[in-house]
Amino acid sequence: MFLQVAQLFGQDNTDIGMILQTLFSLSFVIYLFYAQRIQAMTMLRQIEGTLMKVKRIKDEGRRISIETVKEIGKPEADPTLLIDRFIEFFVVSPVSLDPAGIIGKLDHLLNMSDDTIKAEVKKMAPEASEAELNNLENLLGATHALNAYYKVIRHFYLLGKKTMNIYVIMQIHMVLPLIVREIEATSYAVQAFKDGIPIGDSVGPLVIAKMMRGHEWKDVAKDMVAAEVPYEGRKLILTKAKGPGGTVGKPGDAIENIINSVEGEKVKAVIMIDAAMKLEGETTGAIHEGIGAVIGGIGVEKYKIEEIANKYGLPLYGLAIRQDISQAIGPMVEELHKAADVAVETVKRIIVERTQEGDIVVVAGVGNTIGVGQ
Amino acid sequence: MSLSWTTLVVIAVIGGFSLWSMYSGFQALNSEDSEFAMAYLLSGAAGFAAIGYMMFSTRSSVPRKPVVPKVDVVTTLECPDCNLKRVRDFKRGDYINKDDEPCTRCEGNMVITGIHKRAEPKKG
Repeated sequence: MFLQVAQLFGQDNTDIGMILQTLFSLSFVIYLFYAQRIQAMTMLRQIEGTLMKVKRIKDEGRRISIETVKEIGKPEADPTLLIDRFIEFFVVSPVSLDPAGIIGKLDHLLNMSDDTIKAEVKKMAPEASEAELNNLENLLGATHALNAYYKVIRHFYLLGKKTMNIYVIMQIHMVLPLIVREIEATSYAVQAFKDGIPIGDSVGPLVIAKMMRGHEWKDVAKDMVAAEVPYEGRKLILTKAKGPGGTVGKPGDAIENIINSVEGEKVKAVIMIDAAMKLEGETTGAIHEGIGAVIGGIGVEKYKIEEIANKYGLPLYGLAIRQDISQAIGPMVEELHKAADVAVETVKRIIVERTQEGDIVVVAGVGNTIGVGQ
Repeated sequence: MSLSWTTLVVIAVIGGFSLWSMYSGFQALNSEDSEFAMAYLLSGAAGFAAIGYMMFSTRSSVPRKPVVPKVDVVTTLECPDCNLKRVRDFKRGDYINKDDEPCTRCEGNMVITGIHKRAEPKKG
């Protein structure tokens, strides 16, 4: 059959053969001049489909936020306007042309941003408790992120449509699968923040909560608590963000305050536990040990921890508990819950192997403490 | 699947032409006129392929799964005195290390020790 079809194209002495040959030549010429345009139109169509999906997720996130604020906060007036204003909120980074002092500027901006957001959420939900306010902050933060993703994709889509330039369209088309993964992960986070369910990132605070259960705790910094727990002749000072509301606290300030309160000399090690991104192929809940300040964020808290460790010459040990993005911000999976118990044993082993009796060891669980008390 | 009127008309026209082409192709095959038969069959097949592409590339107006997925979450409670363990559905207000309901086996209080996604049953 293929031979017969091929023969048709070769024959120019029959009507059908001539028509088909003309059509073939014409399609070749069209492809030569319009291939990029055809490709651009195909890519734009795919981006449009994804954009519609992202818009539905964004709108659903917004609807859930409004519903939850009304349910928990019981505001007198409709909070929709306040919420719509909130999801367009922005923070401008300080100029980095002269980087000296930039950490201080960033810290100041983050503190201001945090206080402003807390005040806005309090206005929206006057009847909410402190923990509920923190959860609402996180929920609105997730909705804010979904809105930002939608606007960026829409920007490149409309720009591509206006210019019909394949290189402009390719910029978003190439990274679209990765962005969609993050958007889907953020959509999982909406349920977690709405109901106060621990997320994957809560595994660090969970480890500390398990170790400090039954011991007295106190405030050591903004949204941070610590407890002293004896272990094998050592004194452990365990610190995590103050739960069960969703907050990451200020681990840098907490560790700094703790070390300064014992004048630094008797502290012999700082151990940090945090969630970390896993590579494809790695197991969820795998625990890897390392050196350094195991903490994410833009770097302000990390800077404080490194400064204080450097000042007193303290070793910084880190435990990374592996998970992927959807597990990190979605409701905690069972593997991570089990990994927390393994991490507790790992911390104990590190303490016994690398410190002596009489030493003080600071152990910090880094992450969002939503759904994890102390 | 929602299709605009224009798309429906175009599909109908192409579908009709493709059907006629296929019929003519088979007629030509039967009359041993293979040259015309192949051309007719080819154009008919191309028409059906175009219809298939148009239908599959049309966006569905009804999403197949919830936009913000709902995850099944469970709460684990343990009694620190008698080590009784219980698992129930998560409810808002639960948090780890919360003192919850009284223990059903002893005088103690159950403590929430775990909140996580319900494990999916392993495929045998």
